[in-house]
Amino acid sequence: MLQLTPQTIRIVDFYDDGTDSRHFTFEPIGFALESPIAIGQFFMLTVPSRGLAPFTYTSFPDEQGRFNALIRKVGKLTDQLFTCKKGDLLGYNGPYGNGWPLAEINQKEVLIVAGGCGLAPVTTAIDYLIDQGRANSVTLLYASRDQESQVLKQERERWQSKINVYETLDIQGDKDHSGLPTEHLSAVLNKVDHHPDILLTCGPEAMMSNVAKMCVDLGFKSTDIWMSIERRMRCGVGLCGHCYIGSTYACKQGPTYRYDEFLALEKANTVAHLYPQYFQYC
Amino acid sequence: MLNDIYLLKDLSILNAHLAQHYSVVRLAKDTDGEVTWTEQAGATSAPLFGHANLPLTSPKAFFFPEQESLYKFDGKTFETIHPKVKPIVLFGVQACDLTAIAYQDQFFKHDPYYQTRRDSVLLVGIDCEAPCKNGFCAEVNAGPHVNSATADLILSRLKIDDRTNTSEWLIVASSEKGVDSLRDLTLEKADEGHFKLRTKLGDQVRSQFADFSYISNAIEYLNDKSIPAQLWEELSVRCLSCSGCTNLCPTCSCYSTFEVIEAEPISNTLEFETVRCWDSCLFESFQREASDHNPSHKAAQRVERFWFHKFSDEYLPEFERHGCVGCGRCEQTCPGTIGVHSVMKRIDEVCCN
Ligand SMILES: Cc1cc2nc3c(=O)[nH]c(=O)nc-3n(C[C@H](O)[C@H](O)[C@H](O)COP(=O)(O)OP(=O)(O)OC[C@H]3O[C@@H](n4cnc5c(N)ncnc54)[C@H](O)[C@@H]3O)c2cc1C
Ligand code: SF4
Ligand code: FES
Repeated sequence: MLQLTPQTIRIVDFYDDGTDSRHFTFEPIGFALESPIAIGQFFMLTVPSRGLAPFTYTSFPDEQGRFNALIRKVGKLTDQLFTCKKGDLLGYNGPYGNGWPLAEINQKEVLIVAGGCGLAPVTTAIDYLIDQGRANSVTLLYASRDQESQVLKQERERWQSKINVYETLDIQGDKDHSGLPTEHLSAVLNKVDHHPDILLTCGPEAMMSNVAKMCVDLGFKSTDIWMSIERRMRCGVGLCGHCYIGSTYACKQGPTYRYDEFLALEKANTVAHLYPQYFQYC
Repeated sequence: MLNDIYLLKDLSILNAHLAQHYSVVRLAKDTDGEVTWTEQAGATSAPLFGHANLPLTSPKAFFFPEQESLYKFDGKTFETIHPKVKPIVLFGVQACDLTAIAYQDQFFKHDPYYQTRRDSVLLVGIDCEAPCKNGFCAEVNAGPHVNSATADLILSRLKIDDRTNTSEWLIVASSEKGVDSLRDLTLEKADEGHFKLRTKLGDQVRSQFADFSYISNAIEYLNDKSIPAQLWEELSVRCLSCSGCTNLCPTCSCYSTFEVIEAEPISNTLEFETVRCWDSCLFESFQREASDHNPSHKAAQRVERFWFHKFSDEYLPEFERHGCVGCGRCEQTCPGTIGVHSVMKRIDEVCCN
């Protein structure tokens, strides 16, 4: 049987990390976190009085079960979370969903394209590959609106000397860095020694869709393109129905989808899903 | 199975027997003529038939209530709020709604709240004797006779004697729970002939249904993806997002959650209760995300989604049937024209050309 009732976690610490964003450390109270947590999985966070919402782990739990999450303040639940203090108690359910494809990324040269908060779900993938001694095989293209809104500063600094990191800013920076990630993608690929053959992407759906299309044109197989799709979630366990994508639920069969399978699911509908002209980073 | 079939003239004997162990819930007509599921302890009359008195609401809410508390937080820990249940017998449920319950049993297989409520209910099905006004159960393999995998007991009227105003009922115990429920009740055994008569009567009812081939055609068009987007646009103009169809549909199960904050006077603290309530995929905000991206922001997408969920073959591996059980309630309730008959007819018209 599923357990819908959350378990209690405590806010150990947090610090500001990008516009309206905070990096939190949580610790389980009176229960052991299920481990191992797969890279790219998520959990449901309950903020009493405001309900529950999905967030990704940005670190694997340590010995005490402490783990991190990068959270941007966007609405009802997150506004309330940002008024919380160290020591405050919240609810936790998880880990949920299918993460990034381990077997595939273990063998391939990995390109990661992340937009805004979309960097959070790929954080554990990058750390995992570094731990495996495969830092040389990782290229990250990280896109944000402007410098202030870039998140996960400490992590990016840590990665800088290990993996290939390229950062773009939509509305700031010099000509090598300014503009949308899609404008820089081929230049980035030309610069790296090991040519990537698998893509992990997370960010606004419009961005992922354009990046995926571009990568197909650049010779990636659609079976080697993986995206972490955001959907509104009210349960995380395939019951509330909100996160549907075709006949799947993003919380159960996703949030990580292979591009060709994602396209097939979308095609089940004849009314096209239109993306906004401009991507909005969360 | 043939060991567990019986004959009974007076159903009130069965009703009284079951009432010893269960609260008996049956269809009843209120003073406005509305048919609802009502607790009736000592009913002696024959149950109302769904074909003549289809209740507007299916028994869905007995297992998945419109609102239910899930858990509460007292400032320190979260505590499950277990559903309070008592043994209930739903006496006289027609085939389509039983099929829907079986469908939801599968969907909510791992939901502890649903399963606790479900375990406390005995399902007594009743075979319909004629097509109902909007129903097309025969077209979607959900009736008119009760599928024995969906009920604990089945009632089927074999004969009516107009002169004495009495009937002869076949009673089939079709699950272990059903067999148990008849223990200590002395009943006359029925034989294979009676069972065959039931099948024959079922075939007769089946033959009385109107021609619903447009529904089967539309299901085919939906699955081979030949319905033009423009048709969904046209149909969706008539969707008022009232959620009538999703509330009444016996297989709709989407929900949302909300929080209730209560002051705890003794400790002078606040308690937070999380409640789930029925939601509707036809609401514009159903999938809207915090970033304002809304994957189903057009009404056409949402209307298409509803019918995809009811009729797509992609759900067959999990449920072994389509989501629609042919009760016709969405047609009956829709203030626009996006109920099942209107939509399926229009699809058939447009796509067959
Ligand atoms: C798998 C997954 C992983 C995620 N990981 C992360 C992560 O690591 N970090 C992170 O920051 N986020 C993450 N998210 C996104 C996160 O879940 C959302 O930001 C969060 O749910 C927002 O909740 P909220 O209550 O604060 O916002 P809400 O109040 O629900 O919505 C915020 C905004 O949405 C709009 N809105 C919503 N509903 C309505 C309505 N009914 N009417 C009008 N406008 C409305 C409004 O503009 C509102 O201001 C993830 C999402 C998924 C699916
Ligand atoms: S879709 Fe309409 S006809 Fe089919 S089960 Fe639901 S309410 Fe009944
Ligand atoms: S979040 Fe409830 S079904 Fe996916």
